[in-house]
Amino acid sequence: MPSESSSLDFLRELAVRQGIQPEDADLEGVRGFLDTILPAVAELELLVPKETETEI
Amino acid sequence: MSVARIAAQIRAGELSPREAVESYLERIEAHSDLNAYISVRAEEALAEADSAPPGPLHGVPVAVKDVIDVAGTRTTAASKVLADAPPATRDAATVAGLKAAGAIVLGKLNLHEFAFGALTSSAYFGPARNPWDPARTCGGSSGGSGAAAAADLCAGNLGTDTGGSIRIPSALCGVTGLRPTIGLVPNHGLIPVSWTFDTIGPLGRSAEDCSLLLEAIAPSFRPTKTGDRPRVGSVTHLLQKADPAVGATVEAATRELNARPVDAQVLEHASVIQQLNMLPEAAAAHLPWLRTKLADYGADVRARLLAGLSLPVTAYPTGLRARRWLWDQVRPLFERYDILTAPTMPMVAPRLDAIPADYRLVLMPFNSPWSCLGLPAVSVPCGFVDGLPVGMVLVGRRGEDAAVLQAAQRFQEATDWHERRPEPVSAVPSA
Repeated sequence: MPSESSSLDFLRELAVRQGIQPEDADLEGVRGFLDTILPAVAELELLVPKETETEI
Repeated sequence: MSVARIAAQIRAGELSPREAVESYLERIEAHSDLNAYISVRAEEALAEADSAPPGPLHGVPVAVKDVIDVAGTRTTAASKVLADAPPATRDAATVAGLKAAGAIVLGKLNLHEFAFGALTSSAYFGPARNPWDPARTCGGSSGGSGAAAAADLCAGNLGTDTGGSIRIPSALCGVTGLRPTIGLVPNHGLIPVSWTFDTIGPLGRSAEDCSLLLEAIAPSFRPTKTGDRPRVGSVTHLLQKADPAVGATVEAATRELNARPVDAQVLEHASVIQQLNMLPEAAAAHLPWLRTKLADYGADVRARLLAGLSLPVTAYPTGLRARRWLWDQVRPLFERYDILTAPTMPMVAPRLDAIPADYRLVLMPFNSPWSCLGLPAVSVPCGFVDGLPVGMVLVGRRGEDAAVLQAAQRFQEATDWHERRPEPVSAVPSA
């Protein structure tokens, strides 16, 4: 999942579709962040029981 | 001088509001090298001193972080993006509360750009400097607030806290700062970072001062005192995770509180959980400026905002549900303990020219847990390492801000760490 969702072309298209024109250096930073956090998100998705509600 | 002392002197007729404001304006000018203020309302503050309404803070000079609106003054958020913004047309709810209590707003305090970082190192407005060592960071994002409280450049002030932005500068600058229960303080008139995490809160010399300021800005807050000593638990994995000298200093302080060791390893998930909600919310809040002024952001803030735009949509509800799950795990601890305590920061203030590459990642485990859970958390000075202040955080149940402040006040009645002042600053005559 990280490699597919964090390619520079994908990230650029995502930004452009939201009206934003980032530089490659910005996107490199975003890719590094996503490569780190997406595995942690996947771990969290397994950890939190399905019946957990959102209100805190 | 403390909020409590200035208020008392003014009530007793020993000091006029104008004299108090003049004295602080002189100190602000004398310590302009700290870059704690982005703007100073000298003329307005003097005029307001002459017509301050009666109230518990009558004539007390205060300041606010420059993401909080003060009518007639530009709100810059320490960003080039807003450097030429028009002045705010009305006071934020908290500023209105301060003024209604009789306080005088001296000016707007420096911060990390858009309150979205922990260094207060705006490329456009320059870094705020730590009064204990101007070569070091004062933390952030409310870094100007920490510096101003430590150097006595206002009696007390307001910062904001999303992921530690009041607690971090409080610890690194040796002052007291409260992140209130989420929702206790109205955010109207605040430039948001993250709607579900942001809260305005007080910084000052002591827990007593924070309580006085909180009364003015939180309509439902009432300080209460009980005779019962709180049951305190010390979060052991955070003590062990801190720099050894910092951990040992905080551990010694927890003995003053009769704290018992608590295993709360589950809190380690909080750093990731916070980012799943905070980053998309920040990106949403900034979307219009990202479209038109992207190049005006500092590189670090721009990267975080773009990251928020790029997370998969499933990340956001996962974050919300994980916050609920985290509370389910932590709730039993708050059935056994009234207060949890830990180091506020794992380190003392690093030098501005040697900020660790992993600075932000290292501090998040110490601050994100209490943000994710929306709990009141007060940082108090508890010792020194290499001549630099160390902070200890006291955390309570939601809505029990008064209990947290009372625990902090008890600690400060038994210790004098909060009375220590940085040498170069204390050498300057004070009000």
